[in-house]
Amino acid sequence: MGCFHSTAKRQHPGYEDPVHLASQTAFSVSEVEALFELFKSISGSVIDDGLINKEEFQLALFKNQRKENLFANRIFDLFDVKKRGVIDFGDFVRALNVFHPNIPMEEKIDFSFKLYDMDGTGFIERKEVKQMLIALLGESEMRLSDEIIETILDKTFSDADANQDGKIDRTEWENFVTRNPSLMKIMTLPYLKDITTTFPSFVFNSEVDDLVT
Amino acid sequence: MAENNNSRNIRGRVVQKGYKRPEFDEQYDTTLDDVDAVFNDSEEHHVTEKKEEEPVALNAFELISMSAGLNLGNLFDSEQEFKRETRFTSKCPPKEIVRKIEEAAKPLGFDVQKKNYKLRLEKVKAGRKGNLNVATEILQVAPSLHMVEVRKAKGDTLEFHKFYKNLSKTLKDIVWKSDDVQMQYAA
Repeated sequence: MGCFHSTAKRQHPGYEDPVHLASQTAFSVSEVEALFELFKSISGSVIDDGLINKEEFQLALFKNQRKENLFANRIFDLFDVKKRGVIDFGDFVRALNVFHPNIPMEEKIDFSFKLYDMDGTGFIERKEVKQMLIALLGESEMRLSDEIIETILDKTFSDADANQDGKIDRTEWENFVTRNPSLMKIMTLPYLKDITTTFPSFVFNSEVDDLVT
Repeated sequence: MAENNNSRNIRGRVVQKGYKRPEFDEQYDTTLDDVDAVFNDSEEHHVTEKKEEEPVALNAFELISMSAGLNLGNLFDSEQEFKRETRFTSKCPPKEIVRKIEEAAKPLGFDVQKKNYKLRLEKVKAGRKGNLNVATEILQVAPSLHMVEVRKAKGDTLEFHKFYKNLSKTLKDIVWKSDDVQMQYAA
């Protein structure tokens, strides 16, 4: 009878040893194993290849209402660090790690900055914010005049863009979210602290002594 | 997957018999430090608090972060879970929204405390997990469009869901767009 790890490796490309992943993240070994349960259910929903593609990610996020969403795409792109159009288990765990309640705010601020800096220039430009705001309004079916949208952007940038150069740099962003902590709410998932209850992984006879973590 | 004595299927996932879905109610109450500050304040807290003539305006990022695409909690969610907070938009003037919420909440058995554009609704009668306590806040999207956030502060989430269903029925006339699509499906 093969051991758990080699069986999982065969079925899931990019599968990584839970001990290794636990040592790199805020998750315990059993939490990583529980995340594997979640990963399997998401990655097998359309194509059972052990990887999460864009469609499977959308299905998981929007509960069987697969839809194109600018923000979900941004999140997917940030999870897909190797830029292959798919997320493997290691990517999944390391990305979710940023959302763990125990992870320092600095990492969350970094992630959110990259999230909103859509073209990766190192600045969150006004035109990017406008595009995101319009996407949000479309999503919630709120139609606002361009004038009002510009007013919202004016107020936002007068608050966030300290040197008034029409774009928000990393430092300005950090100061801005420090003044507006509610903006970082999306960067923490309390669920991650209870993941072993939500996804009990008792099916695995973990050969690892959890006390190691 | 074949069922045996020790397990049963929940949506194709084998789980332990006696498995109980975790209840997140008490641990993950929304931080309401700001609302508490408004309602519990004494003279000392008045330092930064000046009389608000208008509701606080939401900035672009506050709006953007409301996207469902940024709510990764949904990855862990199931159909069963009721939301702890929701929001709707209204084209009514903010003072009227406050008045209408007050008018709607009182007959539902709630005590209403209000300050500027924040309301605290407390159910007089205790429920399954104590007295249901709801915080609402009216925020400005644009001068002619406001957003009302309704959050459970304390108490049973299912009771909050029922309360909100009743509230939105009564407020039907002032609601423009509602965020409670998931709540509809959950019902």
